Amino acid sequence: MSKPQYDRTHHAKKATGIGDPQCFKGEAGPPKFKEGDKVRVRNRSDVFYTRCQVYTRGAVGEITKVCYESPAPEDEAWDNTENPVWFYSVVFRQQELWPEYPFPGDTLETEFTEDWLEPA
Amino acid sequence: MAEKHKPAPMVDEVSDFEILEMAVRELAIEKGLFSAEDHRIWTEYVHSLSPAPAARLVAKAWLDPEFKKLAVTDGIKASLEVGVDWINDPPTGFGTPSDYCHLRVLEDTPKLKHVVVCTLCSCYPRPILGQSPEWYRTPNYRRRLVRWPREVLAEFGLVLPDDVEIRVADSNQKTRYMVLPVRPEGTEGWTEDQLAEIVTRDCMIGVAVPKPGVTTNIPKPVHPALRPVQHDH
Repeated sequence: MSKPQYDRTHHAKKATGIGDPQCFKGEAGPPKFKEGDKVRVRNRSDVFYTRCQVYTRGAVGEITKVCYESPAPEDEAWDNTENPVWFYSVVFRQQELWPEYPFPGDTLETEFTEDWLEPA
Repeated sequence: MAEKHKPAPMVDEVSDFEILEMAVRELAIEKGLFSAEDHRIWTEYVHSLSPAPAARLVAKAWLDPEFKKLAVTDGIKASLEVGVDWINDPPTGFGTPSDYCHLRVLEDTPKLKHVVVCTLCSCYPRPILGQSPEWYRTPNYRRRLVRWPREVLAEFGLVLPDDVEIRVADSNQKTRYMVLPVRPEGTEGWTEDQLAEIVTRDCMIGVAVPKPGVTTNIPKPVHPALRPVQHDH
């Protein structure tokens, strides 16, 4: 019985000389959100792997940048690069994340894949 | 009796992460994904990097409003002007998997101060800023900065007025961040070289602000060599 063959270098072949995430440009379709949109981070459970921090779940913020297209970490962790998605940078008031935070002006910015966000 | 007087180990025990790294590296080499020689070259490349190009980028942005615009909108393109090609410089030819080719330069203003962290691991713009400092990778910094940024900054000696907005940038995905601090007073008429000297690594992580007189050139004692190099020309 022959061993199955896996192509473990497909990412390197795709990204060399182009860069990552640049190599996924144009593969995610039109973005669902735009700069200035208010969004809520979905409060759903994650299985095995995610890069969506728990401290942002359920919080409302504002999109400051439509960043780039790339496979979602939940897919990329398993070497699945078939379905790139849009990434967005979202700014939150710190008091939205930590209700007892004492300085109303302070903020936090971080990124999300489209499927973790819903309109707010 | 001898059992009770075992000497302390000469080195710290190897951590789980180090064992994991070795296991993955050895498997990758066995599978032929890269060779031990490739790994040595990449390691040497990473250790050759320094924050000097990033300091140069900040100094240029202070002097040239057009360049500042480019830096803020396209960090990768602006990096080229200070000699850093994120895509082609790394020996892999596409960056390393943890140094994705997406740099955002976060512009401070007198009323907005950025500070960078990676709560999930220790993502850092290494091609332009070099290796991250040890404290940047500690769980202590990573988990406290997002929740108590003012307290953590105070520990670094940076106390900011309440009316300055502190914005923590958590690099949890493929974007890498560096801070473009406000040009300090007392630097009027300075050259690019002079300005670059006061832009230390910590200023670009955001835990310090540049000050005239505080430079990257840490004073070190100089001892005369016992056997100085002899030049025969």
